[in-house]
Amino acid sequence: MDIASPTGQSQENLLAPAERILQQILRRGGFELSYLIRAQETAASDNPEFVFDFSGPDAELLLERNASLLDALEYIVLRAARLPAEISERIVFDCRAWRCTRAEELRLTAQIAAERVVATGTRIELTPMNARERRIVHLALKDHPSVRTLSEGFGSDRRVVIFPSSSPDTR
Amino acid sequence: MEIKELIEAIAKALVDYPDQVVVRAVEGEQVTVLELRVHPSDLGKVIGKQGRTARSIRTILGAAGMKLKKRFTLEILE
Repeated sequence: MDIASPTGQSQENLLAPAERILQQILRRGGFELSYLIRAQETAASDNPEFVFDFSGPDAELLLERNASLLDALEYIVLRAARLPAEISERIVFDCRAWRCTRAEELRLTAQIAAERVVATGTRIELTPMNARERRIVHLALKDHPSVRTLSEGFGSDRRVVIFPSSSPDTR
Repeated sequence: MEIKELIEAIAKALVDYPDQVVVRAVEGEQVTVLELRVHPSDLGKVIGKQGRTARSIRTILGAAGMKLKKRFTLEILE
């Protein structure tokens, strides 16, 4: 698959630095994984996302503990590849539709927590999440009439807090 | 050792001075400690904001170790 980008470079060339380091990590780490790259249209932008879709005997390992290995691989590969930001932010690592399943789980968790906040009138802290996951939670409750959301904490401890919107307490 | 090369490959890809990357494997009975040394100005590149890069390297290392049924830890030397 060869998709022309606005700069006229093919997708293959654009993603080559990422693929190079990814293949080294997979080989030297002894990971039994292969991947396909597909360009996926998104609602948010005219440019497609590049989904690195992994499969193979180590798919389970990739998805353990909320896909911590999948996230770690994505993070390291994107850092190391030093792609221009407009390319880098469109790359997503995925396996067995994990991103989609996880987003649904997060939206459901957000709704349930919001109901509890409304019922009890007290704030609820969700478990720590990365920026992408927190964003899904914030968006899920953006138009909720009775709760507000904030992120609190630092680094890997940062988490979403849900408040009754009537509460003056934003801490 | 492949695992040592794994850390070398990741570190070299992250830093500005790849030829200054040195990884030493110290093998104990239960665990192998991998000592990573980089050019002083590259320290931030292997540690990352709030330690996220180092944490991600350790996650990859842990998973590779699990496959080999061995325990590895990463020490980043300052």
